[in-house]
Amino acid sequence: MTRGNTHAARVATGKGVPFCKSPMLSVKLPSGRSRFVLFVLFVAFASLIGRALWLQGISNDFLKKKGESRFAHTINMPATRGKITDRTGQVLASSVPVKGIWAAPEEVLQQSKQKLRELAKLLDMSEMDLLKKLDSDRNLVYLKRQVEPEITDKVAALKIEGIEMRKEYKRFYPQGEVMAHVVGFTNAEDVGQEAMELAQQKSLVGSAGSRRVIKDRLGHIVEDIAAVREPLDGKDLVLSVDSKLQYIATTQLKEAVEKFKAKAGAVVVLDVKTGEVLALANYPTYNPNNRAVLSGQQLRNRVMTDTFEPGSTLKPFAVALALDTKRVTPNTMMQTAPGRMTIGPATISDSHPHGVLSISQVIQKSSNIGTAKLALQMPAQELWELFTNSGFGQQPKFGFPGAVAGRVRPYKKWRPIEQATMSYGHGISVSLIQLARSYMIFARDGEIIPLSFQKVSDPPQGQKVISAKTAREMRAMLESVVGPEGTAPKAQVPGYRVGGKTGTAYKVVGAGYDKRKYIGSFVGIAPMSEPRIIVAVMIDEPTGLFHYGGDVAAPAFSAVTANALRSLNVPPDSPITNIIIPTDGVQESM
Amino acid sequence: MINKLNAFLTFALVLSALTLVKTQYEGRRLFIELERARAASRQLDLEWTQLQLDQSTLGKHARIDSVARRDLHMLSLTPERTQYLSAEAK
Repeated sequence: MTRGNTHAARVATGKGVPFCKSPMLSVKLPSGRSRFVLFVLFVAFASLIGRALWLQGISNDFLKKKGESRFAHTINMPATRGKITDRTGQVLASSVPVKGIWAAPEEVLQQSKQKLRELAKLLDMSEMDLLKKLDSDRNLVYLKRQVEPEITDKVAALKIEGIEMRKEYKRFYPQGEVMAHVVGFTNAEDVGQEAMELAQQKSLVGSAGSRRVIKDRLGHIVEDIAAVREPLDGKDLVLSVDSKLQYIATTQLKEAVEKFKAKAGAVVVLDVKTGEVLALANYPTYNPNNRAVLSGQQLRNRVMTDTFEPGSTLKPFAVALALDTKRVTPNTMMQTAPGRMTIGPATISDSHPHGVLSISQVIQKSSNIGTAKLALQMPAQELWELFTNSGFGQQPKFGFPGAVAGRVRPYKKWRPIEQATMSYGHGISVSLIQLARSYMIFARDGEIIPLSFQKVSDPPQGQKVISAKTAREMRAMLESVVGPEGTAPKAQVPGYRVGGKTGTAYKVVGAGYDKRKYIGSFVGIAPMSEPRIIVAVMIDEPTGLFHYGGDVAAPAFSAVTANALRSLNVPPDSPITNIIIPTDGVQESM
Repeated sequence: MINKLNAFLTFALVLSALTLVKTQYEGRRLFIELERARAASRQLDLEWTQLQLDQSTLGKHARIDSVARRDLHMLSLTPERTQYLSAEAK
């Protein structure tokens, strides 16, 4: 009943007209109108299909890219910097992955005080410093670089939001200050800054690779989608230095510098057969692992980058030239009395007048007058050529950054006084490594060879400078220098025949010489029967009782050479196992 | 006849689909294993580097020298205490 009623009511609301008889239906619309609607609908669908086809089939790059970015990732594969080892394979420098800790200041500052305090403690900085670093407008600030894994693990355990870690490399130098001046160091970006790290930067650094992969929801790598570009690790570098010899040189040098209260010192040891640099030590030195406080004095590589007036260590060259050109023989006698000589405006002198000396004795007693007289007999050009051929004033080709050429003035400008002083090592500047290398002409029977800081496999090609006969005669003279009659008996090495030449020079300060500042040096060859090594020692500004090369540098030479020959397994060539040093030695001339 | 062929083809299709799934799965599993092996190799490389460093640090001549002198009371070799043997005199 009720249903019937409602129906009736509905009909009533429809003004009593049933639907099928509604006047609205009877209205005849123009047929084009419905067709038009149909057409519009068709066009709408067609355009949708068209768009879909367009996106799916024809122009789908954009969407493909968008999709790919959801699952495909490019992973950078950094290359490891090559190791540096010494000639025996002992590691001198090696990179270890560490992490740099970065922070988004906004997020980190919202963390609890407690957590920040712990973070500061882990990073080894005060809370104030940490807050100061976080007080920045930038999105990301670095808190500490090159943090070791144990600490980064603890930092990660704190679960501080906004802390980010980036992979970095830290270079370790296990030999520390002993090798500092040979190996050098890198900066925080793993770029070489000094010495061999800088010189061999290109081959050490390698090139980074990358791979494109699909990652799943959890971040696991599922598949490689492109060929992997393998990273090319840097090449390992084998140096010519022997860490044992280097240690010996460093400790002996340190002892000498401290004993004679000197400002600084340097030692270089060369292999006569291959031209390899076996040791190169400087004092003061620094620890490459901790460079927070570094002074220029410590960084300075006195062997390579400093030049000095060598003094008497240069005398053998003028004498060798005179012998080589057959102007004199080792036994030619010459008058050096009264120990003074005036050339033009200047007067040169010996520290003690020696009287009549043979050429051998000129070297043994280190007579300025004798050497100068010899030098003045020869044309300037010949002397200049000998200096140049021995490497003085020439840009060195060692592949070592900062190596200097020294200074030899062109011979056409030499005045007689300059020619005289140059013959005994004044008015000419050289580096210690040049000086050591130049003695190759005596040690190698007249030949000079290029030096190398990397291990050499083939014997190098030499260049003849003087005759083998002259070289042998010179070696005999150099040996007499360390005898009881010479200027450097303290350079003797028990069990071995050695030889060399002392040098003492005033330091050049500004335009002239500072007569209170000395450089004492000694360059020697050992063993004399079959030369294996050249050792050059330089002691800068000794301020103690002694300042002559024969007193300050010769003992260091003796100690370095004795240990070096032993560690190189060189059989002894002298029966004398105890050396006698005369109480009043011969003082060399300056 | 046609029906039989259809049934056979359907069966073959299903079989191929299942094999595909299995192969894909196997491929991913092996890939993950490879990744793990690679990570292990990297880790071992790292350890080797670290050990080399340690060796160099501990085998440093300065350390050997001081240990020999201080703890083991050793002395440097001097020629007067050395007897040299030549190769000929056996």
